[in-house]
Amino acid sequence: MSEEKEITEETQPLVLKRLREKFPDALLADVEVSNGVSVVVNKENIFALLAYLKTELAYTFLVDITAVDNSNLESELIKYDYARYMVVYQLYTFEGETQRIRVKVPVHEKDLKVQSVTKLWKGANWLERETYDMFGIDFEGHPDLQRILMPDDFDGHPLRKDYPLRGRGERERFNFDKQNA
Amino acid sequence: MGLAKTDIQNGHRAEPTDGNILTTTIDKVVNWGRRNSLWPMPFGTACCAIEMMATLASKYDLSRFGSEAIRFSPRQSDLLIVSGRISIKMMPVLKRIYDQMPEPKWVISMGACASCGGVFDTYTLIQGVDQFLPVDVYIPGCPPRPEDLIDAVMQVQRKIDKGTLPKGSEVAYNE
Repeated sequence: MSEEKEITEETQPLVLKRLREKFPDALLADVEVSNGVSVVVNKENIFALLAYLKTELAYTFLVDITAVDNSNLESELIKYDYARYMVVYQLYTFEGETQRIRVKVPVHEKDLKVQSVTKLWKGANWLERETYDMFGIDFEGHPDLQRILMPDDFDGHPLRKDYPLRGRGERERFNFDKQNA
Repeated sequence: MGLAKTDIQNGHRAEPTDGNILTTTIDKVVNWGRRNSLWPMPFGTACCAIEMMATLASKYDLSRFGSEAIRFSPRQSDLLIVSGRISIKMMPVLKRIYDQMPEPKWVISMGACASCGGVFDTYTLIQGVDQFLPVDVYIPGCPPRPEDLIDAVMQVQRKIDKGTLPKGSEVAYNE
C-alpha cells in the first residue's frame, strides 16, 4: 500500500482522465500505483470499460485475470458494500506513458456473475476458467466454462478463504475404478 | 552361461566342473538377470527428475549398474521411479501407469515430495505415494543427489537378490 499515492486533477494520468470522462458513474475508486493505475469499476460497466480501454486507449494486452477473496479483510469489505470477491484484470499497453492498468470489479456472493471478456481477448478463455475453478465465479458468455486445474469431479473452490488448506480429505480418497472405466 | 568368477565368489553356489559346467539354483540365475538389467520407467514431475537425468548422464552413469535402458512405456519397464510431487489429478495417471507395468516390478519413491508430500502440505498434493503404490525404496532429500538414486537402485538390486520364484511386487520378501 505504500506505493499508492493520491491523484489530483493536475497530476492524473491521461488514461484516468479519459476514463473519468467516459464513465463518470462507473468508477468506484482509483489510485495511482508505482507503475500504473488501479481502478475499481462497478459490475455493470466492466465490459464496456475494458472494451474502451482496448479499442480506444490501446490497452491491447490482457496480462491476467484473477480474483481476491476479501472475506477476512473487513477494511476492504466495508468499502464496496460488503462484496466478498474482487475480480482483477491486468492490462498492458505498448504505447503511452501509463503502461499498466489494473481494473477491479467487486462481486457479491449472492450474485457470482461477471460478463466474460472472451469476446475482447481470446486469451481470456483459460484465465476465466482458472478464476472459475479457484473461486467459483461465473463468467457469463464464456464459450466453455469448466474447471482447468482441479479434476472435473472436484468439489469446491480451493482459493476461497473458507476452503481448508489441507482440503477435505480429497488427497486421501480416490476411486481408481472409475478412472479406468 | 555368463556367470563371472566374482559372482561365484560372492555366494552363488556354483561349482565349476571341468571348467565348462556349473550348477546353481533357478532363483540365483533369474535374480542375477533381473538385478542387473532393471529397466526404469521415469515418472518425473518436479526437480527430482533433473537429478534423475543427471544420474543417467555420463558423470554418474547409471548404466554402470545395468539400469540405463530408460523406457517411456510402462509395458517395457520393471522399475518405477516416482520423482516429484504427485497431485490429486496426477495420482490416477500414476496408478494406471503402475498397473500397466508387467510383473515383477519395483517402485522407488524419490525425494521428500513423493515420499511424504514434502513442504506441500496442501489440499491438492498426495502426502506420500505409498498410500496407493507398494513402494520398495524411499530416498530422502530435496532433491536427493544422484548418488542417493544410485544407492536406491542398488538397494532394489539387493532386494531382488533375496527374492524367490514365483513372486510379484505384492509378495513380501524375506528381509
